[in-house]
Amino acid sequence: VRSLWIRGLGAPMANPNEHAEGMMGEHAEKEYADFEARVKRTIYIDHLSPVVTRQVIRAALSQCAHVVSVEFVENYTIPYDIPAAALVELDDESQARSAVDLMRDFPFIIGGMPRPVRASLARPEMFPDRPSPPGSKMEFLWLKQGDPEYDGMSKLKSLAKRQEAENMALIKNILEEEKELAAQQQIMLDANYYKYDLLENIVQNGTVKNLAGHYRVNLFDG
Amino acid sequence: SNENIQFSWGKKRAKGGAKMDTQFYGSFTFDNVKYSLYDCVYLFKNGESEPYIGKIVKIWQQNEAKKVKILWFFTPDEIRNFLRGPVAENEIFLASGDGTGLADINPLESIAGKCTVVCISKDERNRQPTPKEQTVADYIFYRFFDVGNCTLSEQVPEKIAGLEVNVLLNPKDEQVICYPDQDVQGMDQKVGAGLVAPLPQSAVKMDEIPVAPLPQSAAKMEDEIPVAAVPLSQSVAISLPPSVKEVDKAQVAAVPLPLAVEEDVPKPTQKVFKRTENLTTKNMPSKKLKLSQDLTTQSMAPVPDVKVRSVPSAQQTTRQADRSKWFKPQPWHGKLAQADKEGRLVYIQNLDIRFGASEIVELIREALQLSCTAKPINHPTYDDPNNGKAYVVFNSRNIADEAVMKINSGLVVGGRPLYCSKGLLKVPKPASGALVGHLTISNQKMNPRQREEQKKAVSTSHCSQPNTIEYDLALDWMLVREKQAMKFSILHKRHAGERKSFAAKMEK
Repeated sequence: VRSLWIRGLGAPMANPNEHAEGMMGEHAEKEYADFEARVKRTIYIDHLSPVVTRQVIRAALSQCAHVVSVEFVENYTIPYDIPAAALVELDDESQARSAVDLMRDFPFIIGGMPRPVRASLARPEMFPDRPSPPGSKMEFLWLKQGDPEYDGMSKLKSLAKRQEAENMALIKNILEEEKELAAQQQIMLDANYYKYDLLENIVQNGTVKNLAGHYRVNLFDG
Repeated sequence: SNENIQFSWGKKRAKGGAKMDTQFYGSFTFDNVKYSLYDCVYLFKNGESEPYIGKIVKIWQQNEAKKVKILWFFTPDEIRNFLRGPVAENEIFLASGDGTGLADINPLESIAGKCTVVCISKDERNRQPTPKEQTVADYIFYRFFDVGNCTLSEQVPEKIAGLEVNVLLNPKDEQVICYPDQDVQGMDQKVGAGLVAPLPQSAVKMDEIPVAPLPQSAAKMEDEIPVAAVPLSQSVAISLPPSVKEVDKAQVAAVPLPLAVEEDVPKPTQKVFKRTENLTTKNMPSKKLKLSQDLTTQSMAPVPDVKVRSVPSAQQTTRQADRSKWFKPQPWHGKLAQADKEGRLVYIQNLDIRFGASEIVELIREALQLSCTAKPINHPTYDDPNNGKAYVVFNSRNIADEAVMKINSGLVVGGRPLYCSKGLLKVPKPASGALVGHLTISNQKMNPRQREEQKKAVSTSHCSQPNTIEYDLALDWMLVREKQAMKFSILHKRHAGERKSFAAKMEK
């Protein structure tokens, strides 16, 4: 037996109380319009360091935008150590766009170097507290063994699970890649520092001057 | 440990106690920051990332113990259930009334730093803050939360915690306050070789840097325009050696140099502060450093012999008042953990990612005739948008079990077969160390002052400049990220395609 249920404009279709539904409809529409406006002026920042606080984000963005609120994204689903992320609401849409542009065109660094943060315009599904769009339809049905679509649906379930596994594998892969890059860069940085340090030392302790004298090379131009 | 942290008493007040063994004070210097009565401070609680904010209302020493009585502020989150009306981003609420949650006695060592809180109440007893004060303040307040009857009010009470409310509102004289410098380009050039060390790995949150960087900026000012990459959170009161203070009566603050400063730095700062006085008299250039002031200062702390000290780990060594039990609505984390313990938590997958909490609750109600609370939990960066995930909390273990069985047996929503299981997903505790890719320079040869400079340079935020090594490295990251984004995009599109073609096949 399958039962099909379709959700309409809020109240169930059985006893439409026109007045009540109208009011609910209006309220829902306003609420969703407000939400959409909020989405437009919010940016999503990730590749964020876990030690960064909202004060830091506020200050960081102060050059191009005024931050109204910062909501950090909780990790409930990824079983690895991932960077932090936050939904940052700004004053208006133009600030949001300019912030995103800024962080796309230049590496923007918050709280530690050199890995920059990434920013994008927020989307509704990023907000855990999103209201439902008024007039959205939702339908469901119950299947049981023996129903014609039952096997197909079971296969679709397996497909979904396989896709999940693929996604997780990709996540694991990119996190490893990031670790490798960080390690490489650390080596390179250390080597560079060592080199500069060496140079500084030989300048400071006069070796360079001696050598210059020995080879009759002028250390300073003109 | 606490043993090596600088401390000295300031102004003495009365003596008291049954055996006259208690000495009350008006101020003290701790970790090279001066605190006075009615200053606003941060206190950390173990395991929490956000510090508590409070006002010092009493300072004393009894036998060996140094204590402070803290009158609490509440953040909007803490009193979410009782909040009405609009709330400003940095608004907090002063405790009033009687009962648990008004004030606590804490060891003095639990103080983690100072902050500026400005009262914007229109009450006549409150000196109205200047617009400047208001913008640079860390927090503002104008409402009071009565802890006895859990109500929020704009009305200023006569007394709080036995004190006349006057002393708890804005101090009589304007405070010039530090705030983060917005133009940090100068710092990058200093970093020239691009060798910048971020914070050492010991999980210090940005807010804890507070006091340390300031003298560095002060010291820097002697060689270039006062570009200050100032700590991004709290205001810091800076102390001047007494001689300088005589020169400028007007608004000059005094705080001893914060930690990890070389002993010869005090001399440069003398010059430096003179210069900033000049700056304050003209209109400040856009690259500003404002000095925080505390006019209730009467005793000047002498510039101390500063000991180099390892990075403060306030969270480990201090004890805090435990406020977790007070009328705090359980944040989601708590609710989920609790529900999981009781077996009421269900993890549902394969939802439409556009479903919000209300849609899921409605779905469960219509399909299962069960009530629940729900929370969509997809991570925007990593999770596949083809598969919406949510936690749903039912009223009892049995109901949850029943729901799981039913849903798995064949609930299809909008062409999507849902599947679910019990229990929380295992995720690692949120990292508290530095991010992968945030590099450090291990170099013992740097003196503490240089180390502080580097720390501060990295603790600020900036667009990386093309003439630095940092820029090249940052570009590496951006390249890698673009590739990653492509990989995800390709994978998710393929998934969407697979699902569509599967559905199409089924139609036939």
